[in-house]
Amino acid sequence: MEKRFMKGCEAIAEAAVRGGCRFFAGYPITPQNEIPEYLSRRLPEVGGAFVQGESEVASINMVYGASATGTRALTSSSGPGISLKAEGISYLASAQLPAVIVNISRGGPGLGSIQPAQSDYLQATKALGHGGFRAMVFAPASLQEAVDLTYNAWEYAERDRGPVVILMDGCLGAIMEEVELPEMKELSYTNTEDWCLARVNGREESHMITPILPELALEMLNKFKGMTYKMWEMSDVKVEEYMLEDAEYVVVAYGIAARVAKEAINTLREQGYKVGMIRPITLYPFPKASLDNLDYSKVKGIIDIEMTIPAQMRDDIELQVKERCPVHEYGRSGGVLLDDEGVYEAIGQIVKGGA
Amino acid sequence: MKQSFVFSGSGGQGIMSAGITLAQTAIVMGKHSTFLPEYGPEQRGGSAKCTVIISDADIISPLPKKCDILVAMNEQAYSKFINDVKEGGTVVVNSSRVNETEREDVKTVSVPVDDVALELGNVKVANTVLIGALIGATGIVSKEAVIASLEEKFKEKSPQIMQLNIAAIEKGITLGKGADK
Repeated sequence: MEKRFMKGCEAIAEAAVRGGCRFFAGYPITPQNEIPEYLSRRLPEVGGAFVQGESEVASINMVYGASATGTRALTSSSGPGISLKAEGISYLASAQLPAVIVNISRGGPGLGSIQPAQSDYLQATKALGHGGFRAMVFAPASLQEAVDLTYNAWEYAERDRGPVVILMDGCLGAIMEEVELPEMKELSYTNTEDWCLARVNGREESHMITPILPELALEMLNKFKGMTYKMWEMSDVKVEEYMLEDAEYVVVAYGIAARVAKEAINTLREQGYKVGMIRPITLYPFPKASLDNLDYSKVKGIIDIEMTIPAQMRDDIELQVKERCPVHEYGRSGGVLLDDEGVYEAIGQIVKGGA
Repeated sequence: MKQSFVFSGSGGQGIMSAGITLAQTAIVMGKHSTFLPEYGPEQRGGSAKCTVIISDADIISPLPKKCDILVAMNEQAYSKFINDVKEGGTVVVNSSRVNETEREDVKTVSVPVDDVALELGNVKVANTVLIGALIGATGIVSKEAVIASLEEKFKEKSPQIMQLNIAAIEKGITLGKGADK
């Protein structure tokens, strides 16, 4: 495997290309501009197409169109831009079209800050658009994980016929780390897969893609989607469980926050404190079982660490903890980064104080 | 062994480039490294900062609160980040632009990198002199390895540019070794 020292956004872009992505449309916004910049050069090299759309709305609808031809399509943005794409994302879900959407998140709400933050957990997991659909949400904590998740994201999107989200904060988008790049996927598509439009690439049979369905057909689609989401919970949860065996305090953190927290946990472990961590890699489906199955006769507290204020994952955590122990939270927001010392002190105060 | 470096200055001084060169050199030497840039919306003139971590083991958190070594290219950067240096740490300052030294509990290495670069023939290599001074003062990477990464970086440029950068690194290393005070 090829090793490269790469920037987060560029690593995601290269992994997308190697994973079969041949179409990108997007509109500039910090801190994800390196994704379109990289793909504007890279996609033409592999026979793909890059479009800088006139807006976020146009870009997501171009992705809808490209996906309908059987092409692996990608768009990327940051929180404010994802809000603008919400309508199109909902339409993708309705038309059962596979696509990958990358959100390199920044401070919020509103236009917020161009500096990194984990401010889009709720948007990604619960409010991607109207109409009550869900998307699988991957939250990498390292560039290697970002590469691996992006590389395989279309397999999930195509299996389940819908959008898949990769949510990573601006800090990991900008950081450079060494990554191993996988081989270019050899895809044997005929572009006649069942989500493709009729009469594209010589396909004969009739297939129409429409966001408007008769009532009963729409209800059937919703029932099918509901079953798909249940299936995700059973078979697609990805989670890292760290030092949980004897843990008296359990940190829950994802992405960059999990890395900073792990450093603090290691220091506290050296001092003899029994701290562990649950790191959701899929934010949706949420790793419910990891939290539900903790031994609450031993666990004295759960600590939710996020680079946003107030903590957004807390509701999902509390639903599993079921008041069996207190839930604490610590974060920084608005573009102020978490740091080793702050997170160590926050966790340490709770752990050492026996709160 | 894990060390954190903060490179700071203003946009256009080659801060990011210097940080990337150090990180890449460490990787060439078989170490682990992360590079994290932080800057505002300005192309030039705004505050520029990057954090580089070099470690023998995998790097868990890339966000240290305090650094072992600060490199300050101008006065504003020096005052902004001097208190983020760990006690007993090292500060490499561009003495062409930074006069004050505020802390007694850190080792200060003063090298007039702008003036040295001008003497060498081009102020643009000030950041290469700076990397040299940093290496001279800390020995964090070898001279051979940093020259190899500069050769990779400038392989599409003219041989004159390469020679100028090698001269800048060598001068920086010599000055960094001797500039302890």
